[in-house]
Amino acid sequence: MEISRDAYRAIEDIVGTENVTDDPAFLDSYAFEWLAELVRPNRSHYMPRPWAVVMPASTREVQAVTKVCNKYKIKIKPISTGWYHWAAPMKDNEPTVQLDLRRMNRIIDIDEKNRFAIVEPYVICAQLQAEAMKLGLNCNIIGAGSSTSVVASACAYFGGGPSSHYMGNNSDNLLGQEWVTPAGKVVRTGSLSSGAGWFCSEGPGPSVRGVTRGNLGSRGGLGTYTKCAIKLADWPGPTEFEVKGRPPGYRLPVGENFRAYTIGAPNWDAWANCYYAIYDNGLGYIFHRQLNLAGANLATALWLTYIDPTKTLNDVETLAKDPEIVAINETARISFQLILAAQSLDGIQLQDKILNEILSQTGCYKVERYCEPDMAEFTNMYMQRLGHKHCNFIWAGGYMGSWMQAGTPDFVKDYVPTAIKGFEKDQQSHLLVECGGDALMGCGSTLGGGGYFGLEQFVSYDPASDASIDACIKHMEDAIADCVAQGLPLGKELLYLQIGWSDQRIWDGMAKAPQTFVLDFQRQFKNAVDPNSLGDRNYPWLPEKWGQAPAPALAK
Amino acid sequence: MTIQDYRADAMRCTRCAYCKWVPLDLMKSWRFSKGCPSVEYGKFHSYSAGGRLITSLSLMDGRSTVTDKVKDSVFMCNMCGSCDVACKVCRYDMEPLLAMHELRAKLVEDGDLPEAFQPMLESLRKDYNTMGEPHERRGDWAKDLGVKDLTKTTAKYVFHAGCRYSFDGEQSEVARTAVEILKKAGVDFGIMGAAESCCGGKAFSIGVDQQLHNSADHNLAAWKKAGVDTVITPCADCYYAFKRLYTKHAGSTIKVVHMVELLDQMVTDGRLKMTNPVPMKVTYHDPCHLGRQGEDYVPWDGVEKKIFGQAVVYDPPRPRYNGAFGVYDAPRNVLKAIPGVELVEMERIKEGAWCCGAGGGAREAYPKFSEWTAGERIEEAESTGADALVTACPWCERNFIDAVRGTKGKLEVLDILQLVNMAL
Amino acid sequence: METKRRQLAAIVGEDNVLDDPKTLEEFSSDESLCEPLRPWFVVRPANESEVQALVKWANATATPLVPVSSGAPHFYGDTVPTATEAVIVDLSRMKAIKRIDRRNRVAVIEPGVTYSELAPALAKEGLRIPRPLAPRANKSVVASLLERQPTTIPRLNFSLPEPLRNCGVVWGSGELAFTGEAGNGPLNLEAQWQRGLAQVDSKGPLATDLMRLVTGAQGSMGIVIWASIKLELIPAVRSYFFVPHSELGGLVDFIYKLTKVRLGDETLLLNRAKLAALVEPQPAAARKLRQALPEWVALVGLAGTALFPEERLKVQEKEFRALVQEFRLTPCGGFAGVSRADVVRLIDGDSGDHPPTLTAKGASQDIFFLTTLDKAPGLIETVRSVAARFDYPWPDVGIYVQPQHQGVAHHVEFNFPYDPNDAKEVAKARDIYLEASAELVDQGAYFSRPYGYWSELVYQRDASSTEILRTVKQIVDPANIMNPGKLCF
Repeated sequence: MEISRDAYRAIEDIVGTENVTDDPAFLDSYAFEWLAELVRPNRSHYMPRPWAVVMPASTREVQAVTKVCNKYKIKIKPISTGWYHWAAPMKDNEPTVQLDLRRMNRIIDIDEKNRFAIVEPYVICAQLQAEAMKLGLNCNIIGAGSSTSVVASACAYFGGGPSSHYMGNNSDNLLGQEWVTPAGKVVRTGSLSSGAGWFCSEGPGPSVRGVTRGNLGSRGGLGTYTKCAIKLADWPGPTEFEVKGRPPGYRLPVGENFRAYTIGAPNWDAWANCYYAIYDNGLGYIFHRQLNLAGANLATALWLTYIDPTKTLNDVETLAKDPEIVAINETARISFQLILAAQSLDGIQLQDKILNEILSQTGCYKVERYCEPDMAEFTNMYMQRLGHKHCNFIWAGGYMGSWMQAGTPDFVKDYVPTAIKGFEKDQQSHLLVECGGDALMGCGSTLGGGGYFGLEQFVSYDPASDASIDACIKHMEDAIADCVAQGLPLGKELLYLQIGWSDQRIWDGMAKAPQTFVLDFQRQFKNAVDPNSLGDRNYPWLPEKWGQAPAPALAK
Repeated sequence: MTIQDYRADAMRCTRCAYCKWVPLDLMKSWRFSKGCPSVEYGKFHSYSAGGRLITSLSLMDGRSTVTDKVKDSVFMCNMCGSCDVACKVCRYDMEPLLAMHELRAKLVEDGDLPEAFQPMLESLRKDYNTMGEPHERRGDWAKDLGVKDLTKTTAKYVFHAGCRYSFDGEQSEVARTAVEILKKAGVDFGIMGAAESCCGGKAFSIGVDQQLHNSADHNLAAWKKAGVDTVITPCADCYYAFKRLYTKHAGSTIKVVHMVELLDQMVTDGRLKMTNPVPMKVTYHDPCHLGRQGEDYVPWDGVEKKIFGQAVVYDPPRPRYNGAFGVYDAPRNVLKAIPGVELVEMERIKEGAWCCGAGGGAREAYPKFSEWTAGERIEEAESTGADALVTACPWCERNFIDAVRGTKGKLEVLDILQLVNMAL
Repeated sequence: METKRRQLAAIVGEDNVLDDPKTLEEFSSDESLCEPLRPWFVVRPANESEVQALVKWANATATPLVPVSSGAPHFYGDTVPTATEAVIVDLSRMKAIKRIDRRNRVAVIEPGVTYSELAPALAKEGLRIPRPLAPRANKSVVASLLERQPTTIPRLNFSLPEPLRNCGVVWGSGELAFTGEAGNGPLNLEAQWQRGLAQVDSKGPLATDLMRLVTGAQGSMGIVIWASIKLELIPAVRSYFFVPHSELGGLVDFIYKLTKVRLGDETLLLNRAKLAALVEPQPAAARKLRQALPEWVALVGLAGTALFPEERLKVQEKEFRALVQEFRLTPCGGFAGVSRADVVRLIDGDSGDHPPTLTAKGASQDIFFLTTLDKAPGLIETVRSVAARFDYPWPDVGIYVQPQHQGVAHHVEFNFPYDPNDAKEVAKARDIYLEASAELVDQGAYFSRPYGYWSELVYQRDASSTEILRTVKQIVDPANIMNPGKLCF
């Protein structure tokens, strides 16, 4: 579909010629995305190429570009740090401007007293954390790690992370936000709309932010979030991390008012009981099942290798067979990481006492080797800054997270055996990394105060191998089949696969949902705020009456 | 190796963007959080290591061609290796820096090297230096120093000044200082003088691999003839070329020592007596080729293999170059041993250091970008409150000196040898 | 009208359709100064299907509905019709506590359940919910949460709607749909429970927070027929401290630090008039007590819960003492006339049938908004100057500051008692309300719950967000039968 070069020129006039390009190789650097190979024809690593990549510097420029796109009917897909195939344009035959927000990268302000920061989309969690720490504050870092955009996780996608148990989900941490709708209007939410500043996301009256966020978020499919304010939590630690050691296994000494533990459970019942007890007792500054991403069979060998800068992955093979490591691995098989923090020494000692009692009551225990200084300091570094999230890909360069259905610990515990069994079976093809059936990772709670999370299987595959890609796709399909057979809601693999589906196939699935109200709502809402359909289907909706049986013809 | 050998790397890139930042654990502020000068300046993703991997793939797949913009995105880069370090925090199977090199080599092979590099290459061909100076003048800096001429005699050590120290009148003092220190320490060394030839590293960094081979062949032969078993240099670029590139590409077995390593050794064994106080607050800049790229090279010839089904490893195990064992402590030990000197660190140090901007051909072909990169580092140095920015590479020094002058700044730029000299 | 009566009776039963003059009179006005308007009927549905039938009927007959859950008195005009021929949907019969899930600490309740009914039921399981300050006995929990009434434990307030999680809503269109996590599952709570779902996550479903579209909505989007709420454990041991000061400003930094480190449970600030009115129901006694109290107090409750409660309390008390010392403040356990029992009643009890704001003179004009704590003293000064302009005796004004959202937002509330039978006092109260509100909004006070006149002030400030709300309303209540005329609708 040809788009007038006038559109290109108009955009150049807005952002400057140096901030827009349609060079094919440059466009490919946005089309290329992790997970594309699982959904695109012929396992292509490229999502659809954008028509142009545009880099605005301000809300005004975003708005102006949006208006041009409305005029010329070009879709808009904002991207900040952009790490998922749904960050790219969705369809081949729909010209799309990829709006790269990297020039909008300022921390506008950190209000120390009132504990919130105002940020632009290209501020990443690590930057905000580093600045917040100087003021005795901290920010929730989402599960995808500290290289991710704060605005994206607050305004447009999920928002849970290892620190959410204490610091809250970024959806709840979201305060005022600024949103350029697909129609090119600037909407300010909460207290911002009243000219009262950034401190409150709710209201006035019903919360306008209710249409911008939800659980899944619009993932770039409903306009561009150009600023937001995010609530910060307290940080009872030093103003900067005193990092030790050599890469890759940097270490962070555990302060006297902190603890960094790996807790093991003898079985999944005890594990769930332990989680509930942690919630009831209000423990945990950071709470996550993190290190198990490597697979329960290999995790100990991998991480002990990782923290030794002289070693390579070859050493994992040897270490994994070491009887001592095998024994440690068994104690860590059902385990999770727990960072405690207190305002005082009395406080941390009391937390230790409470934790020990919880462990005693639930039959859980501290995994000794993981609690030794080297591993504890590594765990502390990993969990505090969450700067090793690219380890998700450590085995073979590809990782896909299946399952991840969220619910209570009991709910999650119930699907864990099915998830483990299915993954074990799929590994028998040798076309996925054979790390054991349990490579489940997830937050202790994605909600502040506890109570809710999901576990995702870390399926490691080689994106340079067609056969391995196919094996990953098969696993996704198997996981879906297992869920259907068990009457479980479908997991994250469905979301990924849907990126490659036709609209009709997606709608057919959606029409079968037990409740379609929100999909109808979103259709109508999209019609109102996106009359030219500039946003893509990352903001899901269902056509009117789709999937409903037609009314029977009246008898003559 | 060719670009095709890194096809798998490109396909295994996850577009995580770690290559744009310092290792995330090391981030201490918003201002000094960036790792990659190229993407900070060029902005589009193609200016990052991840972006270049995709460019490689896109070209290999025939999805795009080499345009001027593509050339820019490939060559407007210092090849500093920050991306490589950051990527390898989590990955054992990726070699972004090597892949980027092969991309350059491919463009060179296809005749797509930017014109701006031609003067440097012409100078190398004609006069064996990158500075556009007549080779006859190369040894002038050492006149009257009474140093052995290794074209006429032999010695265990050769002192290789490098192109910049040889010809940059303002900086030659550093080479002279090094020579005086070596003489006082009783080291049996000589220089090649006018016969000294460029290490070839800069040409290699822009993808003109053949030039490296030419330089290596010439230099190794000359040193062999002179009975040399160790090359000493005050230049980080040369250090890297001799230690890593000559070993890998020319089978060199010669030992390589940077002056700063020698100084450290001399401080430890008491041969260097620094007694004059130098009351200065200084901050140290880790040159890329001495720091994160200054690790020992271990020859390897192997293949990729899979374990645990699909986990990517190598047979035999492939050595890892991730900046973990660069030369970081030696210069710091020396600085701490200088009486009166107070060392204050910048935020981005060691394997996370921000590049000076001179490397990878940037100074030659993209002077504005090179100057901007240096300016960023100057600002970082100034933020420590230091009186001087100290480093151990003439290219870093030149770029910093020019940047400070350009902004009429007050920060002094010194080589570590100059500070040592003040203390002797 | 008779037709409508019959149709309504067919839905809820004859006995639950009320149109006697006394009943209609009760719903025609409230304690606010809003324009009175008589509804035509008050209906009392018993369950979800009756509610849904009512909404569908209202759509078919273009009849405005005004949902009400709490018993009288009402205060903010949201339960008084703003359109004629309205039907009040009195949800007070829907009193089921459908589930108390101790393990997941979630309860599911119907809108007619009051704080005084819920508390003992939860207490049997060792549970409680964060409460507003001294709610009246017949205050609906669901209504209070929907209207984002502030609760007294800021550290648990991870978002302003907390502890509200999911809702079952009959939307203005007549459709039934659940919000949040519940919106992804079957349209039946029992079916969800059988699958192990517990209606915990408030977000969603998908890219919309349906729950947030019904909070603060004054019943203008739909009728909530159940809500899930997050529960907390009842502390085993507690202690309370008052931290007095002559000025609010002298407590600001202390409160900032307290909420930052999440020390303590209940944390609230009261001026002497407010505290006296809360403690002492007799006006004269309250005035006398007021004189003996410090100008301002922070009330901080410390609690030992779950494992090692005594030790927890001990550590908290130690940290609390260190904190007050840091800010050179002097806490105390109470004052003459304010006993521990009074405090416990404030924190855990209700105010019976007689809301304290009404006891002084029979009526009260309330002004409340959200702000950040550092701005509160300045905004209070604004209200004071308006009161002075109208010769209102400032010492009579009760002021309550409630940290929310873990100390980021603060509810600031003023109670201006007045005699409803004295026309001059009524006029004065109205004038203060109008003028103070206008000045406050210009100075950055945020009327996040824009009742009455506040809706005019607030919605004209930003056309884009107002347009979004109207779009939402258009979608979920296309016939505009849900409490029309409220907010910006």
